[in-house]
Parts: sequence; structure tokens; C-alpha cells
Amino acid sequence: MPRPPAPVPPPPRSGPPVALIGGVVALAVVLVAVVVYVVLRPDPVGTGDNASITGSGSSPSALRDAGGIRVGDAGDDVPAVHIYEDFQCPWCGLLEEVSGEAFTEAALAGDIQLTYTLMSFLDGNLGNDSSLRAANAAMCADEQGAFVDYHATVFAGQPPNEGDGWTDEQLTGFAEDAGVEDIEAFTACVEAGTHNDYVTDMQTRSNQEGVSGSPRVFIDGEELSNEQMQALMSDPTALTGILAGR
Amino acid sequence: MTRSGPEPGAGRHEHGVAMTRGRWADLLGLVCRLALGGVLLVAGLLKVGDPTGSIQSVVAYRLFDYRVSEMIGLMLPVVEIALGLLLIVGLLTRWSAAVGAVLMLVFIAGIASAWARGLSIDCGCFGTGGPVDPSDTAYLTEILRDAALFAAGAWLVVRPRSLLAVDTVLFRRPPAAGSAAPESRHTAPSVPKGAS
Repeated sequence: MPRPPAPVPPPPRSGPPVALIGGVVALAVVLVAVVVYVVLRPDPVGTGDNASITGSGSSPSALRDAGGIRVGDAGDDVPAVHIYEDFQCPWCGLLEEVSGEAFTEAALAGDIQLTYTLMSFLDGNLGNDSSLRAANAAMCADEQGAFVDYHATVFAGQPPNEGDGWTDEQLTGFAEDAGVEDIEAFTACVEAGTHNDYVTDMQTRSNQEGVSGSPRVFIDGEELSNEQMQALMSDPTALTGILAGR
Repeated sequence: MTRSGPEPGAGRHEHGVAMTRGRWADLLGLVCRLALGGVLLVAGLLKVGDPTGSIQSVVAYRLFDYRVSEMIGLMLPVVEIALGLLLIVGLLTRWSAAVGAVLMLVFIAGIASAWARGLSIDCGCFGTGGPVDPSDTAYLTEILRDAALFAAGAWLVVRPRSLLAVDTVLFRRPPAAGSAAPESRHTAPSVPKGAS
């Protein structure tokens, strides 16, 4: 079967210049990138020194400039322990399960100055908004002085599958378990997302400070090593040893 | 080519072999475009919907000041999506592939530096970056993947022609002076082009 003749190419012409098209495309990409940057850029958070509660945070125990949630107020003379964690992070759940009580008891006894930064980056990873909502709920509980118990209850109530998150009803159930008294006010606070801005700022501030994951524990500004973190996740008395070894 | 000596129809046959060979190269070009473009597009799409995570992935490398990390984290996905789309449709193939290949080199350098400094992070290539358990790092795999994608880009820089590319339609090259090949295509070649 004879091959059909190949189509005759059009007569020589100068097509659109590659450089022009390339330039236009490159310019368009740069423009879009700049627009995306301007639109999506998180509002920068001040990183001033916020050693003490000033009452200007979003909830009573919240430090200024999204510096975190303070537990107790042991002052500046004791080691400052700063824990960065995300409510949906399984390793954070393990850390809290094993050493959570050691941290909060030491803080309430005045042995350490304890601060929690509640991160919410896992929402983006997992495709839900449970970290943000749980962190907001924890601050709602803080309004009624129940942060420590609520915080522990949420971690104890982590879903078996990372990423399943919590419903508002579950977040309210945790409040009942944690002894939040005015459930109505709590629910209103959860539904309104009263502290969402503060929570978002805590995440931004974590990025600004170079804390790129969770859980992270800093003592007097110094990050604990992998070995120390593993000790905290396996031995409830590890905190005492780590503090004593400083 | 082993055949020698003109036979009836030899010219056409030889021509066919040459076509096939070129077509294979065109097909390889298409595969390279889809591989590099597809990976870039997916990587960009996964990150663009999660600005916080994207910034965090860059922060995790501990290479840049926060402001710079923020810019990279927010703008890189846009560039990746654009390059991915250009490569997939085959528009400005050579230039897109060149930028894509350079990006791969940069990524390889970044991953290697994280490895060398003993960081335990995911490369963050697909948005799930950040710290991982030290035993879960996959630096070598990530570098090999990016090296393969670099090779795909390099091929397209050297030989940008490929199947099903917008470039072929848009920038159809007029028969260049001195190149007889296009001309011979529409006259039934009766003379073998030789074994060259």
C-alpha cells in the first residue's frame, strides 16, 4: 500500500518569536508568584521577649506576641521549658502520655517555667482543621482555668488514625472530662474560633523561630537532643534527670 | 545500518528506519517531559494549598533566614506548577527543561547539605516536609530521583523535540537552507541516502 504523501509544510514564515513568548510567560509566572506571596504570606508576629503574662494575650495564660500558653508562673529563676507540639501529632501524644504530668507538676510546683506553643501545621499536612480547632478549644478551656487538664485530655483522646481529627462534639466532650464548668461558654468559644488568630500566630512564630516540627522541647533556649526526647517519651521520670543534668 | 546497495524500494525503507529512530527519540522526549513536568506539577500543587507547611519545609533545611524561607516556600510552588504545565504541554520545552534541570540541581544540593549536616528531615519535595525520625530519612532515594529528573531535563535541553508538543505546532521550523531532509520527504525518494 503506497504511503500517502506527507503533508507539505507551509511556506517559510517567521513564527512567533520564541524569545517574546518566553519572556511573556516568564513575566506572567513571576507576577503570579508575587501575587501568591503577597496574598498568602502570614502576618509576621513580633518576637519580642515575653517572659511573663501581661494579660494582653488572647486567653488568660497566653503570652504576648503568640509566645505560647504559660502553665503556672514560676518566674525567671527556674529553668524555662518550652514545648512545641501539635495536638494531632502522635509523637506529641506519646510525649504527653509519658512525661506530660511530669512537666505540668514541675511547673505548678514552681520548679520550671513551662510554656506550650500549640502548633497547627499538621492541618495542612493532613487536610483538616483539627489542630487549629483543638488549640483554640484549649485556649477556650484556659479562659476557665482548665488549660492543663484540657490539654492532657485532648492528647489522651487522639484518634487511633492520625488525620481523623475531632468533631466539635468531641472537643466539647473533652471539656466535660477536663472539668470545664461553663460548657455553654466553652462551646460558644469553640464555635466562634475566638482564639484562632492567636493559634495561627503561634504557628507563624514557630516557623519564624525555626521550629519546623513537633514535638520539640527547649530548656533555657536549648533544644533537647534526640536521645533526651526519646527518654522523655519512654520514661516518666526522665524530666527530673534531664533537669538535674543541667 | 547494515544494508548496502540499492534495491528496489530501498530508499523508502532506509527513510523509514531513519524516521523510526527519530520517532523513538521524540517519544523519549515526551517521556522526559511528562516525568519532569508531572513531578514538578504535583510537587507544586501539593505545596501551594499548604503555605504554612511549604514554608516550614524550607525552614527545616536551616539554610536561609526566615524571610527568605518564606519567599521560597510561597513562590517556589508557583514556579513548579508553571514549569510542570509548560513541560507537559511541550511549550518552550528547551527553556522550561533548562530551568527544571537547574531546580533539580539546587534540590540535590539542598538535600545533600541536609544529609551532610546530619539533619533528620523529609526533603519536603511534596509538601510533607519537616523533621522525621532519623531512621526514616531517605536522602539517597531523594537524590537519585532528582538526579534522574535532572537527566530528563538535560535530555530535553540537548534535544527539545518531542512527540505531542505545542512547540512543534507553534514554532514549526521552515525548511532551512542547506537541509535537504525535509524536502526529500515529499518526493518519493528514489535514490538511497547512503549508509551515512
